[in-house]
Amino acid sequence: MAAILEARNVTKRYHGLVAINDVSFALERGEILGLIGPNGAGKTTLINLISGTQPPTVGSIVFEGAPIDGVPAYRRSRLGIGRTFQIMRPFPGLTVLDNVAVGALFGSAGGAGKLSEAQEQARRWLAFVGLEKRVDQRADALGGPDRKRLELAKALAQRPKLLLLDEVMAGLNHVEIEEVIEVIKKVRAEGISILVIEHVMKAIQSLSDRLIVIHHGEKLAEGKPGEVLTDTRVVEAYLGRRRV
Amino acid sequence: MKLGIQLALAAVGLAALATLPLWASPVIIQFGTSALILAVLAQGWNIIGGYTGYSSFGNSVFYGLGGYGVAIGMVQFQWPFAAGLALGIALALAFALLIGLPVLRLRGHYFAIATLGLAVVMTAIVSNIEIAGRNIGLIMPLVRGDTWFYEGSLALLAATTLTIAWISRSRFGFGLIAIRENEGAASVMGINTTLYKVLAFALASVFTAIAGGIHAYWITFLDPESAFDIGLNVKMIIMAVFGGPGTVFGPILGAFVLSAISEILASKLTSLASIFFGIVIVVAVVFMPRGFADLVRRFRQTRWRYFQENIRAHSV
Amino acid sequence: MQLLWQIIVNGVLLGGLYALMALGLVLVWGVLNIVNLSHGALIMLGAYAGYYLFTGAGIDPFAALPLSMLMLFILGYGIQRGILNLVIRGPMFNTLLITFGLEVVITYLAQVIFSADFRTVNPPYAGANFELLGATVPLVRMLAFILAIGLTLVLWLFLEHTRIGRGIRATAQNLVAARLHGVNPRRVYALTFGIGSALAGAAGTLYGVVSQINPYIGGALTAKSFAIAIIGGLDNSLNVVVGGLFLGIVEALTALYIGPTYTDVVSFGILVLVLIVRPTGLLGRTA
Repeated sequence: MAAILEARNVTKRYHGLVAINDVSFALERGEILGLIGPNGAGKTTLINLISGTQPPTVGSIVFEGAPIDGVPAYRRSRLGIGRTFQIMRPFPGLTVLDNVAVGALFGSAGGAGKLSEAQEQARRWLAFVGLEKRVDQRADALGGPDRKRLELAKALAQRPKLLLLDEVMAGLNHVEIEEVIEVIKKVRAEGISILVIEHVMKAIQSLSDRLIVIHHGEKLAEGKPGEVLTDTRVVEAYLGRRRV
Repeated sequence: MKLGIQLALAAVGLAALATLPLWASPVIIQFGTSALILAVLAQGWNIIGGYTGYSSFGNSVFYGLGGYGVAIGMVQFQWPFAAGLALGIALALAFALLIGLPVLRLRGHYFAIATLGLAVVMTAIVSNIEIAGRNIGLIMPLVRGDTWFYEGSLALLAATTLTIAWISRSRFGFGLIAIRENEGAASVMGINTTLYKVLAFALASVFTAIAGGIHAYWITFLDPESAFDIGLNVKMIIMAVFGGPGTVFGPILGAFVLSAISEILASKLTSLASIFFGIVIVVAVVFMPRGFADLVRRFRQTRWRYFQENIRAHSV
Repeated sequence: MQLLWQIIVNGVLLGGLYALMALGLVLVWGVLNIVNLSHGALIMLGAYAGYYLFTGAGIDPFAALPLSMLMLFILGYGIQRGILNLVIRGPMFNTLLITFGLEVVITYLAQVIFSADFRTVNPPYAGANFELLGATVPLVRMLAFILAIGLTLVLWLFLEHTRIGRGIRATAQNLVAARLHGVNPRRVYALTFGIGSALAGAAGTLYGVVSQINPYIGGALTAKSFAIAIIGGLDNSLNVVVGGLFLGIVEALTALYIGPTYTDVVSFGILVLVLIVRPTGLLGRTA
C-alpha cells in the first residue's frame, strides 16, 4: 500500500525556538495513525504544517506521492486534505447546515456546484456524525460535544482523502468518547486515511493502527500501540524522569 | 420570508418607483434620486463590508473615480457620457485590484484605517492633477432632465440589488460569508480567500463608481472634496449597518429611511439637518447597535427591555 | 544647505506640535480601545478656547493652556461618562461610528456658535523671531514646540509614576484584574478620555497660535493625528514623538522639494504604506 502522506525531515523554527525537529514519518492509505505526546510537544504544529496553515522551515511534506510545499492551505483542501481544529472554528452566524454546506461547496475537486446540492450533502454528513436534529440551529448555539461533531462534519463534507483530527475528544465523557470512536471508524470505512492527535490514551489505543510519539518536537517512538506505550522512553516522557 | 417572495415584492416596488416621475413634484424626484444613489452606495458597501466582513471606509474613492472618469471624459475629451462612465469604471476597477490586494491583507480596524487613509490620499492626489482641474474641479454641460437621472439611478440600484441577490445564494457568496464568519476556517476549507476578497472589492467598486458617475453628471460639478467626500463613507456604512448588513434589501431600507428622516427634519427645522445625522448615529449606536433587522426580530419578545439589554451588554 | 537646515528646523517645530496632537488619540486608543474620530474636533475646540480666552479675557494663549486643557478635560470626561461608556464593550466598529457622530455634532455646534469665519490668535509677540544656527525661528513656534514636548513628558511621567496613571495602565491591560484591585473602570475610562481630550485641547490652543482656525479643521486634524499615531506606532509616548517629528520633517521637505499641495499625498501615502508593510509602525512592537 502506498503511503498517502509522508513527512520528510520536517523542521519548524520560530524566532529561534525549534517547534519541530527533523521529523519523518509515513501514513499508509486507509490507516489510522495516532499522534501522541505531552502538551506543547509540537503536535498541532505538525498538523499545521500538513494542512498548509504554516510552512516548514526545512523539509518536505509529500501528499499522494507529490510534494506540496508552497501549496496554499485552500488548495490543499481541494487536493484532499481536511482538518479539524483544536480550538474549534465554526461559522458562528450560520446555521449548522450551512456550516457544513460550505465544506461541501468548496471541498475536494471543487465540490458541489449549487447551494441546494451542497445542502443535501451537508445533511448526509450531519446524519453521519449524529447532528441531524440540530440542522437548523445557529452554530454558536451548540454545546461543546456537538461543536466537535460539527467540526468533524465540516471537514468530512469536503470529501477529504486524508483527515487530520486535532483532539476531537477533549472534554468529552466516556459515552461521548465511545460515540466519537465509532464515528471515526465509520470514516475510515469510507476509505479516508486519518491522522489523529489525542490525549485520551484508551481511545487512541483502540483506534490507531500505529502510533507516533512526539516529544519536544522530535519523534520519540513509532510503531504499534502495544509496543510504543510500553517503551520506557515514552513512559519517561509522560511521567518525567524522576525514577529513584 | 423566502427570497423568491422578497424579489417579487421588490419587483412590484420597483415598478411603482419607476412611475414616480409621472406624478411627483420635481423636489421629490430630486430627493428620490439622492436617496437612490445613497442606496447604491450602501449596497456597494454591503458586498465588501456586509457579506465579506471587511468594513471599508474608503469606498468614496470609487465614487470619486467614477465621477472623475465622467467629468474628465466629457470635459477634456468631449466624449459622451457612456464613454466617460466606462473610464470611471476602469479607474475604479484598477484601484480595487491593484490597491485592494495589499490592503485586504489587513484585518479589522487596520483595514478600516488604511481605506480611510486611501480616501484622503486620493483627494490629495487628484487636487494636484491638471487634467482633473486640480482643486477647482470640473464643470460639465447640463443636458438631461431630472427624470433621466432618477430612472438611471433606479436602474442601477436594481442591477446592484439583483447582483447581491445572486451572491446571497451562490457559491461565491457563501465563500464571502465564510470569510466573514471565520477567515482562517474558510481558507482551510478550500476557499481562496485572497481571490474572493479582491473580487468582492472589485464588484463593490464597479457599482459605487457608476453611482459616482451618475451623480457627477447630475450635479454637473465636481471637485476633489465633494467627489471623494469622506463623510459619505460613514453615511453608507450607517445605512447599510442599520438597514441590515449581509442581507439583500436591508441597506436599501436603511438608505431610504435615513434619507427620508433627514429630509423631513431638514424641511421642518432647516439648519438642523446636518446635526441630525450625527445625533442619529450616536443614539442608534447606543440603543440599537445591531441594526433595524435585529430590532424588529427581537422587539416582539423583549419590547422596551431590548434597548436596556443592549446598553447593559455593551457598557462598562 | 542653509535652506535645508531651515526646512528641517521648521519640520521639527511642526513635528513637536504634531506629536502633541496625536498623543491624546493614542492614549485613548491604547487604554480604551476607542478609535476616536472626533479627536480633531476636540483639537478644534481647544483652539477656540484659546482664541476666546485671548480675545475675550486678554489671557496670553500660552498662559491660557491650563484653562483650555481643564475645559476640554471636563468635556471629555462628560462624553466618556455619559455616552462612550455605554458602548465601549461592544464591537469596536461601533466606537468608530459613534465618535464620527460626535464629530458631526461638535463641528455643527461649533459652526453655529463660533461662525465659520477664519480666526487667528495674535499675541503681541506673534511676529518675533530669533536665530538658531542660521535658521529663523518664529518665537511662537518655538514656544509651542517646547510646551508640546513638555506636555508629552508630563504625560509619560504621569502614567509611569503616579497612582492614578498606573491605575489607568493597569485597566488598559487587564480590566478584570484592575477591578479586583478596586479600580472603578467607569471613572478610569472617563478620566482617561478626559486626559486625552485635555491633550487635544492643548494641541488646539497651540495650533491656534501658529495657524488659522475654523470649525471645519477637525476632520483634517483627525486624519493627520491618525497618520502620526500609526506611523510612529501605538505603544507609548516616545513612538508618538518620533512619528510626529518624522511627519513634520517629511512634510517640510515635501513642501520645499515637491510642492506644498503634495504634503497630504506624501503623509497619507506613507500612512498607507506603513499599514501595508509594517502595521505596528516605525517603532512599534505590538500589533
